[in-house]
Amino acid sequence: MNQFFEFVGQRWGSLLFDLYQHGSLVLQCTVLAVVIGVGIGIAVYSSPGGSAIATALTSAILTIPSFALFGLFIPVLGLGVQPAVITLTLYALLPIVRNTIVGLANIDPAVTGAARGIGMHRLGVLTRIELRLAWPSILAGTRVSVQMLMGIAAIAAFAKGPGLGGSIFSGLAAIGSKTAVDRALAGTIGIVVLALVVDGLLVLLGRFTTSPGVRARA
Amino acid sequence: MSTATAQLGERRSERLRIWGQPIAVVLIVAAVLIWAFASELDDIEKRNLNAAVILSLTWEHIVLSIAVAAIVVFVAVPLGVLLTRRWARFAAPFFLAIANIGQAAPSIGVLVLFFLALGGVVNFWVAVGPIAFYALLPVLRNTILGVRSVDSSYVEAGTGIGMSRSKVLFTIELPLAVPYILAGLRTSLVLAVGTATLATFVGDGGLGELIVTGYKLARYPVLVVGAALAMALALLVDWLGGLAERWIGPKGLR
Repeated sequence: MNQFFEFVGQRWGSLLFDLYQHGSLVLQCTVLAVVIGVGIGIAVYSSPGGSAIATALTSAILTIPSFALFGLFIPVLGLGVQPAVITLTLYALLPIVRNTIVGLANIDPAVTGAARGIGMHRLGVLTRIELRLAWPSILAGTRVSVQMLMGIAAIAAFAKGPGLGGSIFSGLAAIGSKTAVDRALAGTIGIVVLALVVDGLLVLLGRFTTSPGVRARA
Repeated sequence: MSTATAQLGERRSERLRIWGQPIAVVLIVAAVLIWAFASELDDIEKRNLNAAVILSLTWEHIVLSIAVAAIVVFVAVPLGVLLTRRWARFAAPFFLAIANIGQAAPSIGVLVLFFLALGGVVNFWVAVGPIAFYALLPVLRNTILGVRSVDSSYVEAGTGIGMSRSKVLFTIELPLAVPYILAGLRTSLVLAVGTATLATFVGDGGLGELIVTGYKLARYPVLVVGAALAMALALLVDWLGGLAERWIGPKGLR
């Protein structure tokens, strides 16, 4: 254990940089996925057929092994950041689209009906009522996405993607050397810690962005 | 609108997948194999991309996944049932927390660490162990959830007509929990097939080997065939899981 701490102490700078890149990659892809995913959810939620197709497609894509999807993108997009961003965003979309649809479809029609009745515009109903009521559900989907992306981003390092996965793969490549286990351990623990911290931050974000009435009900 | 629509959408999407997924699998496999074998392959590609290699790697992948599924079922279901018994209930959050943290860990990290910790010995179980650990959570959680969700009046009725505790468990609680357990198993299996693509990094083959070989040698047909077949296998396993959810389990609940 001492040796591990020594190792982390020596590489503190580069590990911290990888940690930052890992977190930043995951968060940027998540933000992108929230924008696209909520958009898709809004587009399809009112038609059962559209929701069924969107849900079926997203859950089918979710079953695809992430390593295989990375592999498929390499010939098209090359190595590095680009395939990582596209794959991660694609995976992050799935729980978000699903939860957006569920969140929007579960709103009591009496509420939206009342809003229309007092003369609210369709867009106003969507942004001021429906999305706010669906927000806890969307946020729950986002948390699932982030958790999942943390692990998938590690695999992206195989195709020269950024982040802590590089540390894991370098440990594997350095098998037999003294620091092999330390490297893999540092990468793995770093990702677990990052995942837990970001998840905690998202819970906090939920506290501050959920309107008080919705929070009291939930 | 509301919940009814959401459930209707859910059911429709299940039906779409029951029909759509096998078609997608057949199309993917056919398209990628025809594309690969119709194009001019050089010597290196021919060595890595022929029926014998593809079949044996696919088989390795399937065996890995089955071994993982077997371990998951034999560990997670009994453990889950145990954790719903009155005298062990207090330990459930503890085990779930461990399993949760295990899932927050990156699969590739767990796999590599396990491999390095064992001194880098190449062995079938070196990959199966961590993948099974990784795939344990969905079944464990759903077993606990399934048994807990059984209406206590059924259990009381069973006890009331003189059933022993184990009889109540095996004839009432477990059958009623089967749909939950199957849903968890479906998730676990898909996770297992996906994570098994990484088994090649610890020398255990599987379809991931084609991906890595194709990448290292810059022979993209090899890479694409490996990736597409892994994708098709995952979709197929998920589809079989969906069928099982439909057709296995107590008749009255379907």
